Amino acid sequence: MLSFQSSKNVLSLTEDLLVRIYELLAAESDRKSFRLVCREFRRIDSLTRRHLRVIRIEFLPILLRKYPRLQSLDLSACPRIDDGVVSLLLTRVGPGSNSPSLGHWAWGLKSLVLSRATGLRFSGLEMLTRACPCLESVDVSYCCGFGDREAAALSSAVGLRELNMDKCLQLTDVGLAKIAVGCSKLEKLSLKWCMEITDLGIDLLCKKCVDLKYLDVSYLKVTNESLHSIASLLKLEVLGLMACPLIDDVGLQFIERGCPSLKVIDVSRCEGVSSSGLIYVVRGHRNLLELNAGYCLSELSTALLHQMKNLNHLEVIRIDGARISETSFQVISANCKSLVEIGLSKCVGVTNMGIMRLVSACINLRVLNLTCCHSITDTAISAIAYSCRSLVCLKVESCNMITEKGLCQLGSFCLLLEEIDLTDCCGVNDKGLEYLSRCSELSCLKLGLCTNISNKGLSYIGSNCLKIHELDLYRCTGIGDDGLEALSNGCKKLRKLNLSYCNAVSDRGLAYIGRLEELSDLEMRALHKITGVGLEAVAVGCKKLADLDMKHCEKVGDSGFWALAYYSKNLRQINLSYCGISDMALCMVMGNLSRLQEAKLVHLSNSTVEGVELALRACCARIKKVKLFAPLRFMLSSEILEILHARGCIIRWD
Amino acid sequence: MDLKERVCDELQKEVPKGASSTNFNTQHQQKWEDPSSTLDYSTRIEPPFQAFNQTCQTQSLLLCNNQIKVPMQDGSINDLLQQASKIQDWDPSAMLNNLSFLEQKIHQLQDLVYLIIAQKGQVLGRPDELLVQQQQLVTADLTSIIIQLISTAGSLLSSVKQTLSAATTSLGQCGEFGGVVFPSSAQRLNDGVQPQNAGGSKVSEPPNSIDITSNNGNEQNNHIVEEHELKDEEDAEEGENLLPGTYEILQLEKEEILAPHTHFCTICGKGFKRDANLRMHMRGHGDEYKTPGALAKPTKESSSEPTIIKRYSCPYAGCKRNKDHKKFQPLKTILCVKNHYKRTHCDKSYICSRCNTKKFSVIADLKTHEKHCGKDKWLCSCGTTFSRKDKLFGHITLFQGHTPAIPSDEIKVAPAGTSDGATNKVGSVNFNLSSYVSSESEVQSSSMDIKGGIDDAVGYFSPLSFDTCNFGGFHEFPRPPFDDSESSFAFLLSRSCNYSQKSGE
Repeated sequence: MLSFQSSKNVLSLTEDLLVRIYELLAAESDRKSFRLVCREFRRIDSLTRRHLRVIRIEFLPILLRKYPRLQSLDLSACPRIDDGVVSLLLTRVGPGSNSPSLGHWAWGLKSLVLSRATGLRFSGLEMLTRACPCLESVDVSYCCGFGDREAAALSSAVGLRELNMDKCLQLTDVGLAKIAVGCSKLEKLSLKWCMEITDLGIDLLCKKCVDLKYLDVSYLKVTNESLHSIASLLKLEVLGLMACPLIDDVGLQFIERGCPSLKVIDVSRCEGVSSSGLIYVVRGHRNLLELNAGYCLSELSTALLHQMKNLNHLEVIRIDGARISETSFQVISANCKSLVEIGLSKCVGVTNMGIMRLVSACINLRVLNLTCCHSITDTAISAIAYSCRSLVCLKVESCNMITEKGLCQLGSFCLLLEEIDLTDCCGVNDKGLEYLSRCSELSCLKLGLCTNISNKGLSYIGSNCLKIHELDLYRCTGIGDDGLEALSNGCKKLRKLNLSYCNAVSDRGLAYIGRLEELSDLEMRALHKITGVGLEAVAVGCKKLADLDMKHCEKVGDSGFWALAYYSKNLRQINLSYCGISDMALCMVMGNLSRLQEAKLVHLSNSTVEGVELALRACCARIKKVKLFAPLRFMLSSEILEILHARGCIIRWD
Repeated sequence: MDLKERVCDELQKEVPKGASSTNFNTQHQQKWEDPSSTLDYSTRIEPPFQAFNQTCQTQSLLLCNNQIKVPMQDGSINDLLQQASKIQDWDPSAMLNNLSFLEQKIHQLQDLVYLIIAQKGQVLGRPDELLVQQQQLVTADLTSIIIQLISTAGSLLSSVKQTLSAATTSLGQCGEFGGVVFPSSAQRLNDGVQPQNAGGSKVSEPPNSIDITSNNGNEQNNHIVEEHELKDEEDAEEGENLLPGTYEILQLEKEEILAPHTHFCTICGKGFKRDANLRMHMRGHGDEYKTPGALAKPTKESSSEPTIIKRYSCPYAGCKRNKDHKKFQPLKTILCVKNHYKRTHCDKSYICSRCNTKKFSVIADLKTHEKHCGKDKWLCSCGTTFSRKDKLFGHITLFQGHTPAIPSDEIKVAPAGTSDGATNKVGSVNFNLSSYVSSESEVQSSSMDIKGGIDDAVGYFSPLSFDTCNFGGFHEFPRPPFDDSESSFAFLLSRSCNYSQKSGE
């Protein structure tokens, strides 16, 4: 960091040099430090910044004024954005305080993320698309209320290239037609879960938007007719057909003859697709890079294998749930030498010998998913470790026969390993973790249900794997406060931590957790020893906490919740089920946490109906999803339920 | 296949017989006139044969016409057909040629079908494409065979003109003709053939015997085709190439055309649209009108000479259907004249009660329209409506820039806090936090009572000033030091801040 003495020299740097320096800062925390140095630096920051992700909407007007060069705006974390807010932003926020040029910030905007903006409707969207003439990318995924009118509003953005409409549940062919006609330059379109879309809409889309490179129609009830239309897209590179129940091998025949640029295809979970369908696809597209066929093959047949010999460029293959023989591995490894990722989750017939054959030639493998391949042992792991030196991700959940020997090999050879899933591998012990901790790049470690590990093992991780940002210790009953101390001393970058059912953890352990400033996700179900003191320590220390699950933490008292209400301003999701929270504390938590979007409030032993009602009233403007005790359905006032419904809040009754 | 072969065989057996030419002709007469047959001439009594010479002739002619109208894939078949229809004299050797050609053709087809059956077991690779092609081939061949067959028969019929005599014929053969040839023809041909049969059975009182078929064809068309009012008349006459002068032109006056009744009771003066109805009416005037003779359909005097064909002219000067027009196209029947005159030269006085926009001058047109009115729920931005979604999408595919229109009644009221109200409430141009927050909260609290004892709306919405709320007893709790760096820069690069939102399980 810059020292005080050198600041004069730094200030003498010209603006363009400062901009260059600024652009070299990758981490957000570094940029934050940069702009806090002085006004000049701060000015550089505001001039250079292109992307903005807003977490608290109340600062949005100021921020938009401060950053005039924005190209990308992410409002997905703002639950409260609605048509009124959009209108205000466009009419009131100019570059200067008295500037007549209204909505200036929107002129240069190219990318807009409005995911989960359930408060927004077509009039607001229309205002936005009109105000942003350069708009190229829009994300309105998970806006469940969006339909044809919203699509019509979006279709006025004629320059649109990328559009994500996942789970816009009301969207029909009519809305899709609007977009297809209006945004003819579209290159990327995702329509997952838009259940009303039929073949007619897809057909029109393929005729109007001929530049499409990416199309995802996963989960739609489209038939082979749609595939016939899609086959005419000459530029299509990525096609997502996941879990389309009505397509089958006949439809894939069209793909064989069409889509000459196809690189990636996903037919996983398509009930109608069999290996003969995949044969068509493979036969027609020798340059395929990625083949995703999980849970649609019963067996990797020899005919398919024979065709796959030609896929010399294949990088990713996922055949989860299929039966696979040892000779198949031989064929794959002999022909698909550029394979980078292979997914064999829940495959039957994966043996040590098979894996050894596979890795003998596929030395570029970086991602290997062997989840639930129960018969593999340390022999296979050793072979993987020895051959695939560039391995980044290894998933061996439920492979019970893996012991410290295998981990020793991994720790010796796979020094690039970033992610390992050892959930439910009861062969893992402290010694194994010691070996594994040699992989200093490790960022994601899952040790759920590994009951044989203790504080000692965790201390190895804490002292060596300093880059860890996700750690899963679900039901690791051997872990206690000392382990967490070691962890908090080393793994300062930890963002996601699961401590559920680690019964030994007490308030002291949570105090260590409080030292993890980057922590955003904390799951600590059923920690019976912790009280309000521990929760307060977490709330005060973990300022970025966004997701907190403390179901069944029955001993936590109101003081802890009050602390939560005052300190955890960034909290977005909370699970307070089976907690002893009082009415007052509940109102505080729900009312004061201005970013809260989702709350689970089942079986609150110390709360009354009135308390819940008041708490809901306090947060009804922004809450999006709430889970409540089923009998409350008839006890809460209909007024509050109507308000919640009107605001687009989903209520789950339990 | 079997059926076709049988047809072929039977024809071969029959054709060499010399008398068969007349047979065909008279069979037709039987078919049309026999009261015991399926035809519904209940009020009719055995008519003299002679009157129907002409009928047969026109029928054969119309038969050919209809054949030409059959939608055809194969141009060569069309040529063949026209050739066949041109044959004026019956030439047994030509007939034999035709039949042997048919035989060959059928054998070819048979082989093809055998092939298909044999392949069915093996081909797994691309079953659809091949099968469709084969089916198309078979259909095309069948069609050509059927057309050839009928045209052969047609040439036979046309030759009847010369050799016509008053010979009677056996009903058995009649059955053979009617029962074998026609029902065995493909569906496509049925389109062309059946209107004649049906036509004969439906019209109880044609203006004259010649026009039975055309009249009916027209009437049916009126019911089927709704929009193209003029077109259907033309459709009905398509292919009729009567030379000027070969027919008699009649022109009814406007009053005659528009008169509601054309048949009047000579005793009481009551008017009727149909003379059959008049005859029914006459029975009430005395027993003399109840005799079979009086109830029978009046027929033209029988003569061996063919009667002159009658065609009609529209009285409206300048109309294409008027005889003085350069490209005069005559109307076939009186009904055609009536419908034409009403549709083209009269006010459209019948208005659809559902949509209140469509107007018609012929009541039958209105009724047809009403059957479909209101079903056009698919609307294009250009204003065109469609009864089917796929038709709309086809239209949109075809026309650049057209989009489906979203019905206006679906517009939902925009949620509280839309532009006008909100902007008015923000007084200051300088957009600071408190004014923004208060404006939002004012708008929102207007629709819902959220405060629950909190009077200050600002306090509720501002996360920074919770202590203004009247939650008694909470003031004691230590307020955290205001962390400026964190809260005023509450944004993060999405890359560095990986908030994955959990969706419900």
